[in-house]
Amino acid sequence: MTDQEILARWKEEPAPLLPVLHAFHARDGYLSEDAIRTVSKGLRIPLADLYGTITFYHHFARVPGGLDCPRVCTGPVCLQEGALDILADLAPEGATGMPCSGRCDDPVPVIRGHLTLAGRSAADLTARPAPLPPPARDGDRECVFRTIREPGHATLAGYRRGGGYEGLARVVQELTPAQVVESIDRSGLAGRGGAGFPTGRKWRAVAEANGTPKSIVCNADEGEPGCFKDRALMDYDPHAVIEGMIASGYATGAHRGFIYLRYEYPETEHILAEAIREAEEAGILGPSVMDSGFAFDLHIRRGAGAYICGEETSLLNSMEGKHPFPRNRPPFPVTHGFENLPTVVNNVETLASVPHILALGAEWYAGLGMNGHAGTKVISLSGDILRPGNYEVPMGFPLERLLYDWAGGPFDGRTIQAVTMAGLSGGFLAGDDLFVTLDEPAIRARKSFLGAGGIMVFDDSRDMVEVAHAAMEFFAHESCGKCFPCRIGTQRLTERLAGEAGPDSLVAWVDEVADIGYTMKETSACGLGTAAPLITESLMRYFPEAVSRHVTAHGPLPMAGRG
Amino acid sequence: MSTNGTGPTIVLDGEKVAYNPGETVYEAATRHGKDIPTLCYDPRLEPFGGCRLCVVEVEGARAPVASCTAQCRAGMEVRTRSARVEVHRRTLMEMLVSENREVDVDELTSLASQEMTELVDRYEARTGRFRGRQSGASRPDDPNPFIMRDYDNCISCYRCVRVCAEQEGDYAISVKGRGFDTQITVEFDGHLKESACTFCGQCVQTCPTGALGDLKALAYRDVAGETKKTRTVCPYCGVGCAVDLLTRGNTLIGVQPAMDGPANKGALCVKGQFAFDFVQHPDRLAHPLVRGEDGELHQAGWDEALDRAAEGFLRVRERYGRHAVYGVASGRAPHEAAYTMQKFIRGGFGTNHIDNCSRA
Repeated sequence: MTDQEILARWKEEPAPLLPVLHAFHARDGYLSEDAIRTVSKGLRIPLADLYGTITFYHHFARVPGGLDCPRVCTGPVCLQEGALDILADLAPEGATGMPCSGRCDDPVPVIRGHLTLAGRSAADLTARPAPLPPPARDGDRECVFRTIREPGHATLAGYRRGGGYEGLARVVQELTPAQVVESIDRSGLAGRGGAGFPTGRKWRAVAEANGTPKSIVCNADEGEPGCFKDRALMDYDPHAVIEGMIASGYATGAHRGFIYLRYEYPETEHILAEAIREAEEAGILGPSVMDSGFAFDLHIRRGAGAYICGEETSLLNSMEGKHPFPRNRPPFPVTHGFENLPTVVNNVETLASVPHILALGAEWYAGLGMNGHAGTKVISLSGDILRPGNYEVPMGFPLERLLYDWAGGPFDGRTIQAVTMAGLSGGFLAGDDLFVTLDEPAIRARKSFLGAGGIMVFDDSRDMVEVAHAAMEFFAHESCGKCFPCRIGTQRLTERLAGEAGPDSLVAWVDEVADIGYTMKETSACGLGTAAPLITESLMRYFPEAVSRHVTAHGPLPMAGRG
Repeated sequence: MSTNGTGPTIVLDGEKVAYNPGETVYEAATRHGKDIPTLCYDPRLEPFGGCRLCVVEVEGARAPVASCTAQCRAGMEVRTRSARVEVHRRTLMEMLVSENREVDVDELTSLASQEMTELVDRYEARTGRFRGRQSGASRPDDPNPFIMRDYDNCISCYRCVRVCAEQEGDYAISVKGRGFDTQITVEFDGHLKESACTFCGQCVQTCPTGALGDLKALAYRDVAGETKKTRTVCPYCGVGCAVDLLTRGNTLIGVQPAMDGPANKGALCVKGQFAFDFVQHPDRLAHPLVRGEDGELHQAGWDEALDRAAEGFLRVRERYGRHAVYGVASGRAPHEAAYTMQKFIRGGFGTNHIDNCSRA
């Protein structure tokens, strides 16, 4: 395609910047200065702005051939599965590291061009589908995984065999939008991306908000280390996501939807695109959804490597072609979302739950949970555990049962030293706190949170200070740079966990780390900065001896502080 | 505003005060005399919420909130100087000190250049805590004669980026990278001259740390004496930007925009901001010159020079009429001279052929 053909293809589409950049990136193998100038002119984005925004994303290559250089996942699990050796072995090919790319159940992923390879050494990297969720252990209590393991389920025909789109047909033909909102409300479904905001309330707010066109945005920027549930849902059940989005559109009066997909899932983009094509051909998407007269169009927008774009307002800025800093809130996306218009932003798992609720009823979904909690949660379990994978558990399920009964426990001769919560954002749980139940109130009582449901397991062979350092390095790498406490705090905590800087007296070290953490938690502008210090907090709480050894192990540091 | 009217009120440090609908907590508090620290705030720009120094405690809120982005709500109880927020402010200031090369910068660096220093002193933040790698990389390679790009002292408040976009509309500077590696840059990391920069200097004047500096003024840093500020109006064009001329003794050492200038609100262009060299230029005429019989200019006294000029003007008027004279005043002359000039042409010759080069 020529420059002008690329621009013409996307110029009139909503949210054109990312697809235009990806088109140039794919065509040239990198983003050249000429390409950036062309895009700046074609989309009328100031050149300096565009340049700055491109540099924000990890995966836009700026040197020729950059796209084809291997990028090796150096996430917390992959680091323990040989990622650094692979990185060294592929160094002659220009390999670089990348933050967790969401394949912790089948490490180590390496992205080369538009292909994901995986393997535990450079020699046995193969392109293979990401794993299906393991067989159900408590099948009666599953929601989003209820039908996902049926062969061919990702195709329209396969999806329909399992009753797919029947709920939507009833919705658009028999129910009013208000009835749909009411049903979702009653189910108790809440945001499964981590924030836990009641979905029905969000939909109602958008339905009642003024301003059109409204949008449904599926947040598929699954960037949290240790989380890979959305990948499984989209790879094996793409039509559930589509059905959920159309229902959300119908309920709120939105006629356009976007799936903001993380860069690191190139195969998923093809699966989604194929599912959308099938749905369009079958009249499920388009000017009259299932002959109802309700119009709904769906677009995929691929990210370019930025964890912060999973934060919904950063995501919206990214879609709009702006610098992906989080926005100040209020106003919230329900009134001022994409292009400042009412917008539903829901996580993949949330939206994928909707068709099941529509088909089986709000009461059925609400009843899936335990101890009064509604519904289920997919847990991405990885690390030092016999059977890693995505497990859908009833809300309120005991963590211990998941770890030992379902996933087989630690490796032979090992014990579980700690697990992370919310991927990395919830910090660590260890000791007696491993006997927690998987629901937000129980986990918050232990100064952590369930979040998106990523749990990484570290057994007694792991150095927890090292694990904490890798975690904080991730947050520092992904801090957007907008607010001071997070920008500086993640850096300073990383240096202290690395033993590169900081006081050499334990008391002063702990003081500094605690003071930085306290101010980050209380004053950071978004969840990244408020959550990152849970790593150091929980490290100091559960592993004070390890911290003490770390601080006293090295002599005076080149950049040591006084005291 | 009165507090006994029917307008909405908030409780500010225990005192019930009125606010204007739509006002932020920071705006209302400042209007009521509170001195809330901030480094990313510039009243001309959209609230950004980056520095978090302006956090205040709001009754019922889990954590402190940034007062610059929080809107007043009726009945809101706000504490602007509680121990809790003061602790955070001090920690934040210590963090800022740890990322910069230096805290104390010359006052000539820019209008806002002392903002960080003042807060560092207020919070006694020179503790040496939180030491580590420094952020920002200076650009001594940029050869432009106006703007110093000393990003070793940058704190990533983005006031420069935002003023360039929101006030000047140039979008010449932007943010590269992210997190601690964030860097203020222009397209492709080039020099300002090759960018969309117009050298208006607004980025310099709003920079609170001295990371951006006024090279023209800094060239006079060794001139002795107190710096005096004199308010005047820029003569270069018809907009009427208010400026403060900086002088030490009889030396003009710099120009700063007046933030309260009704026409410019802190804005200037490259001429008003940086083009004042001519005032003290050695080539400047220091006495009248009169052309002699030999065709060369010779030094003369004022009486002789004025007589010669008057003679020539009168001759032209007599021969060709009053409209044969056309006066063009210089934009580099003081306003008083421009005023006298038009009086002279209109009153003296009776013509309206008077103009000023600034109109071009």
